[in-house]
Amino acid sequence: MIVVPKGSLHNLSRSVDRKRRDLLKAIAVGASVAGISGVLVVDRDKLAKNLKRVSLEDLLRSTAEAESPMEERAKKKEAELKKRYSAEAENICREKGEDSEECKLARKKVELITVKATAPRKGVKYAMALDINKCIGCRRCVYACVMENNQGRNLGIEWIRVLEISREESLELLGSNWYYEEIPKKDKVYVPIACMHCEDPPCVMVCPVKATYKEPDGIVVIDYDVCIGCRYCAVACPYGARRFNWAKPVVPIQELNPNMHILGNIPRQPHVIEKCTWCIQRVRDGGVPACVEVCPVGARVFGDLNDPESPIRRIAEEYGLFVLKPETGAKPKFFYFFGPARTPPSKGER
Amino acid sequence: MSASEWFETIKYIIGWALRGSRRYYLAAFGLLLLAVYGLYLWIFMQHAPIFLGSDKGGLILTAMSDSVPWGIYISFFVFWVGVAAAGIVFAIAAYVFNDKEFKKIAVLGEVQAIAALIIVLLLIVVDMGRPIRALFLMPRLPNLRSMLDWDFIVITGYLLINIIGMLVTVHYYRKDKPLPAKFIVPFMVIAAPFAIGIHTVTAFISQALTARPIWNSPLLAPRYVATAFASGPALLLIALYLAERYIEGFKVSIDVYRKTLYISVIATVVGLYFTLSEVQEIFWYTTEPSKLAQAKELFLGLHVPYLAVLMWLWVGLGSAAVIASLIPSTHNNKKAIVAISALIVVAVIAEKTFTIIIPAFIPSTLGEVRPYYPTPIEYGITVGVHALGLLIYLLLSKPAIKAVMTHYFKHGHEH
Repeated sequence: MIVVPKGSLHNLSRSVDRKRRDLLKAIAVGASVAGISGVLVVDRDKLAKNLKRVSLEDLLRSTAEAESPMEERAKKKEAELKKRYSAEAENICREKGEDSEECKLARKKVELITVKATAPRKGVKYAMALDINKCIGCRRCVYACVMENNQGRNLGIEWIRVLEISREESLELLGSNWYYEEIPKKDKVYVPIACMHCEDPPCVMVCPVKATYKEPDGIVVIDYDVCIGCRYCAVACPYGARRFNWAKPVVPIQELNPNMHILGNIPRQPHVIEKCTWCIQRVRDGGVPACVEVCPVGARVFGDLNDPESPIRRIAEEYGLFVLKPETGAKPKFFYFFGPARTPPSKGER
Repeated sequence: MSASEWFETIKYIIGWALRGSRRYYLAAFGLLLLAVYGLYLWIFMQHAPIFLGSDKGGLILTAMSDSVPWGIYISFFVFWVGVAAAGIVFAIAAYVFNDKEFKKIAVLGEVQAIAALIIVLLLIVVDMGRPIRALFLMPRLPNLRSMLDWDFIVITGYLLINIIGMLVTVHYYRKDKPLPAKFIVPFMVIAAPFAIGIHTVTAFISQALTARPIWNSPLLAPRYVATAFASGPALLLIALYLAERYIEGFKVSIDVYRKTLYISVIATVVGLYFTLSEVQEIFWYTTEPSKLAQAKELFLGLHVPYLAVLMWLWVGLGSAAVIASLIPSTHNNKKAIVAISALIVVAVIAEKTFTIIIPAFIPSTLGEVRPYYPTPIEYGITVGVHALGLLIYLLLSKPAIKAVMTHYFKHGHEH
């Protein structure tokens, strides 16, 4: 919920006032209901504390972006993609008939295609943490990621890799099993690994054309129009996070995610590198990455490290955060932690 | 000196490059054919999505993968950088130590460096996913923290230096004039550091990566340079022997062979010593598990046996060459010296191609073991690139030696 301070946005103030009146009414009704039932008490001050103020700057940001070169490029890409995919949609319509579900879906998808160039928010530093005690190794995050981020289906690219490691031995990646089929096993831990969005990313240091770089909000991005495909970054990455488009990637229109970011899930070209972007197209609009949303056991936590109220800060204070391979010196911003309960429970039946 | 005289020099080079016996034409044509076939494989198959926009083909036709992102191209790239670096050895002997016999063949070292550097650049180009984009973007968006950019700078710089060196040598010698000191001194001052620099920077590409434990050792750059000075001079001796055999009237004293062999053998000994040092560091007590796993792949070949075969071939042939060179009678026989050189070249190819690059990827950073065996297309393109490089070696060495003969072998005999 959003509360806009009065007077800060003149042109919006009338509608906001109405919203605010509605809100106050709702609170009044709620309070009276609570008073009668004696279950729920809403304190206006407390409510206001939990609501976040939106700064004028944040709202004006979108208008400023409209003129940025990145935004212009995004617009051009959007037109290109619409053209390419509408041809594909027409093919489907011709084959399956105008009234078929497939045709309607394809046309709808083409209509929905948007390529954004949302800039990072000021003062935000993203981080993610994963509860190793909770993860059951179901790979739902892997599949959700593929659906969200338009990876080439013909190339089998998956940004997240889940390693099955024995609980008895030390957490050594060398003997890990990538191709397990049965989950969850009591004597195993599951360690999902994707881009760690390091503080000192080796991939960024080695890129000969500055095609990959770290944004102010902590997301390491790749400019697919600059990448020359030398794969030096893949060689330098200590976490095996980078995937190369070894051929022309294909994403059929039916599986396309039309909500795209130019530095994120826009369909890739052949012979460029790609990797996890923490779903930049969702995160920069205030959402959470797809893997966080889909995780059935809630093992993943995502948030802003600079915000004392964010879930990631709570995890840091409560359980402590660990990184994989600290010896590489890259300072990952993807953390692991050991939560309070194991899934499946260590005692009792499975 | 006017521009038209330089134009004459270039005409001289092209003229002599295109003149020759039937055997010469056959060799050149054969190499050209292989090069064209390699080019065909590259444009129409491996890089078809880039050049033709087709849906089929692409780097997927190679055996490289996300686990093994660099393969045969980068492996041979490393070897030829070494050969190029050693081209300077003859020039040092000739101009720094003022050895007259070496002055006759210093230009051959420059020609070898040019050919090797062209192979090097082509191997990078065929490996790169989007080479044309790289051509435009690398000068526009340089990242000075990236060793790849520095490598590109030193390699093109060294190529330019060698082209200048060769041109100037041919220019003066063809008119029977000695090289002026005002050329030699700055040339040596610039070229010698570049020669060491190209191989050092090439090693720096990989040695500072914590992601690849087997590379992550300060010994890598010295090791590169050591074996470079083993293979480069050895290859030069083989080329020299062939030139003596096929170019009438071109004769070089056995002193040149002997001194060059000394350099080559000493460098081989240093290289073997570095291998020993690495083995001790990895296997004697304990070491980081992933480094140990990669070293086991290299020395024992658990999943990729050819790595172990090559590594032990290096140790075996390298030691054999050193031992053979200790026999006194070999020193007075050109054929024996060339045979030892051939041994050293094979040993260094074994040490410096797959055995450097591939173990860093098996097992990968996350412990995946994905064996790498190059596909026929990769072999084809590699052979094509090498054919083009050797063709350039052949075509340039002819006019270079002719010019040398004009200056040093007047009227068909030595003076």
